Amino acid sequence: MATQPYALACEGGLDKSSSSFELLRKPGAATLLENFEVDIAGGYRRINGYSAFGSSSAANPSAENDILGLHVYADGVIACTSTNVFFSQDGTSWLQINKASVAGGGDNHTAFTGRSAAARTSQGLAHFTTYEGASDYGEVIITDEGSGGKPFYFKMTGTGSALSSRTFFAQEITVSGTHYPKFCTIHDKHLVVAGAATAPNTIFYSNTIADSDDVTDFTGTGSGSIVLDDQVVGLKSFREDLIIFCRNSIWKLSNINNASTIVVTSITKNIGCLDGKSIQEIGGDLVFLAPDGIRTLAGTVRIGDVELGTVSKAIQPVIKFIADNIGTYTISTIVIRDKSQYRLYYGTSTTGSASRGIIGTLKTSEQGFTQFQWSETVGIDASAAATSGFNSNGVEKHYHGDYSGRVFNHDTGDNFLDSGSAASNIISKYQTPDLDYGDLGTLKTLRYAKLSITPEGTVDTNLRIRYNFDNLDSPKPADYSLSIPKPSLFGTAVFGATAAHKFGAASDPITRQVVEGSGHSNYFRIFSDNQNSPYTVNGIYIDYEPSGRQ
Amino acid sequence: MATTYLQLTNELLRELNEVVLTSSTFSDAIGIQAHAKDCINRAYDDIVMAEPQWGFLATGESGATDPFYGNVYVETVAGTRWYELKTASSSVTTDYGAIDWDNFYLTTIGVSGESAPYTSQNLKFINSPDWVRYKREAENADDSDSQSYGKPTHVIRSPDTRKFGISPIPDKVYRVWFFAWDLPTALDAHGDTIVFPDIYASVLMARARYHFHQFKDSPQQAAFALQDYKEGLKKMRSNFLNPTPNYITDDRRYF
Repeated sequence: MATQPYALACEGGLDKSSSSFELLRKPGAATLLENFEVDIAGGYRRINGYSAFGSSSAANPSAENDILGLHVYADGVIACTSTNVFFSQDGTSWLQINKASVAGGGDNHTAFTGRSAAARTSQGLAHFTTYEGASDYGEVIITDEGSGGKPFYFKMTGTGSALSSRTFFAQEITVSGTHYPKFCTIHDKHLVVAGAATAPNTIFYSNTIADSDDVTDFTGTGSGSIVLDDQVVGLKSFREDLIIFCRNSIWKLSNINNASTIVVTSITKNIGCLDGKSIQEIGGDLVFLAPDGIRTLAGTVRIGDVELGTVSKAIQPVIKFIADNIGTYTISTIVIRDKSQYRLYYGTSTTGSASRGIIGTLKTSEQGFTQFQWSETVGIDASAAATSGFNSNGVEKHYHGDYSGRVFNHDTGDNFLDSGSAASNIISKYQTPDLDYGDLGTLKTLRYAKLSITPEGTVDTNLRIRYNFDNLDSPKPADYSLSIPKPSLFGTAVFGATAAHKFGAASDPITRQVVEGSGHSNYFRIFSDNQNSPYTVNGIYIDYEPSGRQ
Repeated sequence: MATTYLQLTNELLRELNEVVLTSSTFSDAIGIQAHAKDCINRAYDDIVMAEPQWGFLATGESGATDPFYGNVYVETVAGTRWYELKTASSSVTTDYGAIDWDNFYLTTIGVSGESAPYTSQNLKFINSPDWVRYKREAENADDSDSQSYGKPTHVIRSPDTRKFGISPIPDKVYRVWFFAWDLPTALDAHGDTIVFPDIYASVLMARARYHFHQFKDSPQQAAFALQDYKEGLKKMRSNFLNPTPNYITDDRRYF
């Protein structure tokens, strides 16, 4: 019988919610997508690794204490750890910035480093907000979930590259009595804080920021507080409103600059936020982790608490696992804007290389609507802290920290780092659903597969085929090893310097692999375990021979 | 070295683009692999059934023991008519696959205590109805009354095909030589080999392919394979069974 063609494009992302029969009609989806990401340009791309911030000279901010928070600031990054806060431009040396008695007009470097520490007592997971204002790098406010210290204010001025040429400002902010809020945000010329252990349902907002003192003043013009019905777990300024995420409800504060019309209105009283660290702004919307999944604020506003508001339905079992263990796991999230990605990492201080995360890529589907398409990470121990932001040069930077005090450049390089900071492999897996080629009843004998894989370097990956939903009674072909050289493209390759690369090769080569076996359905798994460059799996073409119904 | 069961099975699997077996996985073959093994055995049986008297199925080499045409003998007992063709066999499943009933030979050569001049003569086959009609009553009377036996001249096939009888009932010990063919043993272990020369393995493969394509509901492919098998079998017949000139024989001289 003549062979038949079949082609699938890798599109749709991880789908752990659909039944195996539903997935027969979603061939482009993935039932396993670990350490791959949905590429906004199409296909599934093996993720980048991460590297030590400071490369081979990297130093920890504070021994091996947990990184409690990271924040992109100026030309470096702020790290909270133990009872201190540090700043570094390069990861090789860290400047302690939680200083007491800093002069109101600022300290020079020598004076600043000579100040005593303003210990961040019982410092927990840190939250940051930056008031950009008119200063060189803006003003940073730090709160933490330890609720043992006041909000901390830090500003650095001076555009010289050396820290010794800069001026430093730092102080603790007294909000109200002994309330030590956990969460903070800048909203419409106000610093807003909330979630203090002593007043968990109260939000405090500062003076209307008109000069440099106002951001730290909660007693003057424009300041105030509001008591809610529910305990605050996160704050986010979104367009004209301040969104207040509570444990079991979500509120909206409007008109913060008009004492006569300021109002808090309910968005929903049935859905709350599981963890304030999950809140991020992406794609013109706020996303957060709710008990029933990752939600968008717009979706929640529009259709309330019904399940349709979630954008993570495809990975609901993963979300349920996180929600069921939210008391155990630490959550961190990061937005990678140039990839339209929202990443959520979850783990504990002991999960290490087994730590997991999810990656949601905002992508326009074939049907023309934009939605999150998901994948998972395994081995990125980033649940302690992760952050992204634009530095003073306008470049988006990504960092994460671990429970051993290390800070990493996030989403870069071709490898992970083990506990001893040695390079380790990235183990990536992409598995298609079982494909029935349009008719589950017909036996098909596979002849060959053509894989469209875009290499970013030399690719060494493997192809596995299993038949009949991995039925134990179906013979299992041995894995096929695929090696794809990086093409030497005109204008980029250097003659003689890219020995492993293939001159004149296509940038999106098609790799033909003769395969064997037969079944009523089969899946393909593409997997690698190495430190090679990433690659993108665009799609698979299959030549098969149908035979009778069995 | 003869082709093994594993080699045949893998050849079939490879041809049909299926996952091959190894010596370690052979006994635990599953699914389509197990079916491929079945197809090989089925094809093996088909070839054997096509001609039960293939030379390669002969129970023994003719003349290996004594210079007679025959590869098996049974010694008679005075006064006993019926003898199992294969004394070691307990049922028809383990009997010989075929017997040349037109080629029985009686002799005293090799019989203990016998010396020259020996008795030697062909045993003519007599079919059951004739024996029943012309000889049974008289010989039974000899057996039960007069105990008058004689030198056998005819051989009879028992209705259950498991025994031969001789007529008259023998009066002493003779050796009855005949030619027998075994039933082949089904291939089982990965190292089991086929009983015919390797060049005919392709005939077996054609037949196995025929069975496999039937399973895959591919009638056209099955038809091609069947044609290959028929042509191959014809060649096997020609090479194994009919390599000698044909003669016309006048049987009247035996009466």
